[in-house]
Amino acid sequence: MILMRAGLRNLLRHPWQTCLAVLGVALGVAVVTAVDLANETSHRAFQVAAQTVAGRATHQILGGPQGLPEELYRQIRVTLGFRGCAPVVTSELRLAGPGAANLQLVGVDPFAEPPIRAFSSQFQNGQALAALMTQPGSVLLLRQNAQRFGLKVGDSFQAEVAGSRRRLILAGLLEAEDELERLGLDSLVVADISTAQELTGRVGRLSRIDLVLPEGAGGERLLRELRGLLPPEASIVTAGANAGALEQMTRAFRLNLTSLSLLALVVGMFLIYNTMVFSVIRRRRLIGLLRAVGVTRREVLVQLMGEALLVGIAGTAAGLVLGVILGQELTRLVTRTINDLYFVLEVRRVPLLPGTLVKGALLGVLATLAAALPPALEATGAPPRAVLARSFLEARSRRLMPVALGCGLLMLLCGGGMLAVESWGIPGSFAGLFALIVGYALLVPAGVVLLARLLRPILGALFGVIGRMACRGVLVSLSRTGVATAALVVAVSATIGVGIMVGSFRTTVQHWLESWLRADYYLTSALGGEARRRPPLDPALVRRLSGIPGTGVSLTRRVSLATPGGPLELFAVEIPRSTFSSYRFKEGNPERAWDGFSRGGAVLISEPYAYRHRVHLGEPVVLPTRFGPRSFPVAGVVYDYGSDAGIVMLSRTGYLAFFGDASVDGIGFYAMGGGSAAGLPARILALAGESRVRLVSNAELRRATIAVFDRTFAITGVLRLLTMVVAFVGILSALMAMQVERARELAVLRALGLTPAQVWGVISGETFIIGLAAGLLSLPLGVLQALVLIFVVNRRSFGWTMEPYLNPELMVQAVLLSLAAALLAGVYPSLRIARLQPALALKEEE
Amino acid sequence: MTDAPLVELQGITKSYREGERERAVLKDASLTISRGEWLFLLGRSGSGKSTLLNLLSGIDLPDSGEILINGKPVSRLGERERTMFRRTRIGFIFQSYNLIPTLTVAENLLLPLELIGALSRDRKVEALELLDQVGLADRAGSYPDRLSGGEQQRVAIVRALVHRPLLVLADEPTGNLDAETGREVLDLFQHLLRPSGATLVLVTHSGEVAALADRLVSIKEGRLVPTTLGSGALV
Repeated sequence: MILMRAGLRNLLRHPWQTCLAVLGVALGVAVVTAVDLANETSHRAFQVAAQTVAGRATHQILGGPQGLPEELYRQIRVTLGFRGCAPVVTSELRLAGPGAANLQLVGVDPFAEPPIRAFSSQFQNGQALAALMTQPGSVLLLRQNAQRFGLKVGDSFQAEVAGSRRRLILAGLLEAEDELERLGLDSLVVADISTAQELTGRVGRLSRIDLVLPEGAGGERLLRELRGLLPPEASIVTAGANAGALEQMTRAFRLNLTSLSLLALVVGMFLIYNTMVFSVIRRRRLIGLLRAVGVTRREVLVQLMGEALLVGIAGTAAGLVLGVILGQELTRLVTRTINDLYFVLEVRRVPLLPGTLVKGALLGVLATLAAALPPALEATGAPPRAVLARSFLEARSRRLMPVALGCGLLMLLCGGGMLAVESWGIPGSFAGLFALIVGYALLVPAGVVLLARLLRPILGALFGVIGRMACRGVLVSLSRTGVATAALVVAVSATIGVGIMVGSFRTTVQHWLESWLRADYYLTSALGGEARRRPPLDPALVRRLSGIPGTGVSLTRRVSLATPGGPLELFAVEIPRSTFSSYRFKEGNPERAWDGFSRGGAVLISEPYAYRHRVHLGEPVVLPTRFGPRSFPVAGVVYDYGSDAGIVMLSRTGYLAFFGDASVDGIGFYAMGGGSAAGLPARILALAGESRVRLVSNAELRRATIAVFDRTFAITGVLRLLTMVVAFVGILSALMAMQVERARELAVLRALGLTPAQVWGVISGETFIIGLAAGLLSLPLGVLQALVLIFVVNRRSFGWTMEPYLNPELMVQAVLLSLAAALLAGVYPSLRIARLQPALALKEEE
Repeated sequence: MTDAPLVELQGITKSYREGERERAVLKDASLTISRGEWLFLLGRSGSGKSTLLNLLSGIDLPDSGEILINGKPVSRLGERERTMFRRTRIGFIFQSYNLIPTLTVAENLLLPLELIGALSRDRKVEALELLDQVGLADRAGSYPDRLSGGEQQRVAIVRALVHRPLLVLADEPTGNLDAETGREVLDLFQHLLRPSGATLVLVTHSGEVAALADRLVSIKEGRLVPTTLGSGALV
């Protein structure tokens, strides 16, 4: 107990250092917890929403771009006599006005619902059911959502569905029995199936038919019979397959986010290691005393680890609270990105997920103990005599430098090896990246020595003995300066690496847009808001706009096809050959691809599609056409950064022939014959008349695309900022510990006649060298991280090729940032020491 | 004093690495110390006096030779065994007092008792009585940084005796004190150590301190050589 008290009071006697250590743990835990919370919340919301909509269905019948004929449902129910089925019409819906929200319209047959979905119990409200089935535009909303939008039963409101603004009426409210059910119903707008068909312009068509098939031989027999009834473009899939495939789309995104948060934790761990090293160093003499009076190594180790555990618990508790707060904002960013890029997802409340909190708690405590163990073992492993002598520590540090160099090089090799094993996937990539970071960090002390020696004559020439003392101070305190610099290097290099990766990606996307967007103007429906699915344009409008003199047009249609392997994005295009020739091909070339593609006999696939499905030039891609599954050879693999799930491009000729869908959702306009595009907008809008269309120029569309890109990477910006805060806290803690530990030494300097300004100069000089060393040494590691992120992580996550772009401005900023962080962190400690009275500091004390 | 020696040093050699070279501190040093004897070590700075204390306490190990304390071959014990031996049998008084700064005076005294599992009520009372004998009973609740150098050294002496060690090692215990305070500390040695019968090995530069010794030994060129006060061994 007495021994324990000695340790506890040591923590309390150095409140700043203790608080900084706790803060370091807290920040690391907060970032990991917030990201995990955002990922888990969105994942959970998606799963619950998908389960709520899928209900008890075991299988689903899916069709082509125009869905399934209604007749099929009648055949299954009446002719086949199978009652365990229910028709569904779904579409994205956006509430208009100030409370705009992306929701999912689900049209169901209330009488067929009971075997399928839980919310069908709500249809027992006779009044609501009657209104739902008889009143056009009637829908049901979750009670909480109705309150949120300020709606009562009977109120009408505007919504955008399938390219049209429609008036809906709230016929009734959906009641959730528990939180899980609330989550499932949160993003739904429920309507009668006829209403949904009418709103989406798909009268006589269904999105899918849900089935509840019995297990065993009975179910197998039914499946066979059902397959016999299906039209060629339809297929039966298991109910989870579709949802699972959708969720897979976000897996890489979420995994990358998690890995970035783990990077923040690694920096946090470095910070803890840093702090524990200094805590042990500061108490080496005390440890030596305890060993001298008979305290065993194990007892000292237990005490040190006990103190680390206290710091870990306090930091973790604070980190969890901070993480929950941060998680609210991160969830908003993650959900926004998922909506932008993948599918409709609404999360309004971020629950306290016990699993996330437990994970964060364990990680924080274990990371603290893991980071504290090496310095604790080192301190207790040395003989007491050695512990009592500071010179032993520094001599040992210098002797161990070649060992650290060797281990560092070995780890770099191991990291490189891990990155080379493709089968280890994304987790292996990040493991390799971390090995590289740790290996490089072991080389940093040697780098510090080299830089300090190089700077000595320069600083000596500029600042005389003060400059030389600063260099010498860094060298003789390598056990401290080396660790502090390594921590700052890890943090700064992470910002460089992620910054280069994002910048390279951005540059690549900009270059790609130059080849992909060739029209002068683009027109789409103005209705549909932020939804990814563009509603089709009025065919009459398309005809009018296609005939503008002196103007060429490209017609496009983007649909999602249901396949056994999950949704497939099909992009049907009718484009001028010159535009086709400007596409950048990864495999194949435009000249050879044009004939097959333009006739509709072959397809182009995007690079991510080729990567995910392991398809190459000349190999087949199977599309579910109205005639049944049909193979199309791949005429080329093109670079495309619009979708990480990948797209298949088919000419409009082929699309009409094999899918029978003449709808167009986008028109591109080209000024022909050398004419100016300046007058085009006016002519287009004049022809559009009352139609609600959106016309953007090529430049505007590129800007909007880049804006979505920037929004997606807003999250990484937040994480980079937090990583730098963690590093700053680390360097501040290290510098404060260093200066407090050297108080006596600096007091001697003051006693010898150095002014406070000169002492400040010595300390600032050391801080400058640490900052400069960290900045310069972080550059190679930052570039290495960027290359790994670009050529390994991104490739394995999304299949994209990126052009690396080493932005010199970013690198200069990083060096300046490192210098600024070190100098700023050194201000308080150096002022404190400079103002210290020499007599007090020279008095005999710890 | 009894006949059987408490301490035997046989052919002790010890070197340290200083930069690139090895410096031999003790060369084939041999010595016996009787029970209850007060043996004081003299020698120039850097001659190896503190090294010898570290070897006797088990804090350090000789490069060769053997150290026997109370018949136990300390130099052949493992690190943990030496620590346990030091905990129960050795009392250490440092030049710079070296009280644990985050423990009160009373806690500093009771720490050795806690380490040997002898924190009974009687032993606590005994420890506090010792504190009273050195005139610091009213400072039991103070932290070391509130005490003067002399007061801290008095606490350190009590700490070194509280667990009834066989052997007390003192490394220049008056080195950081003024003459008057140093004399007070020497008085304490006489009043507390002599009656306890503890064997004392003390390092000093002071003639006044050396005068209290039963026997004087100096370290010359790594060897232990008997000496007297007028021999010029004090520097």
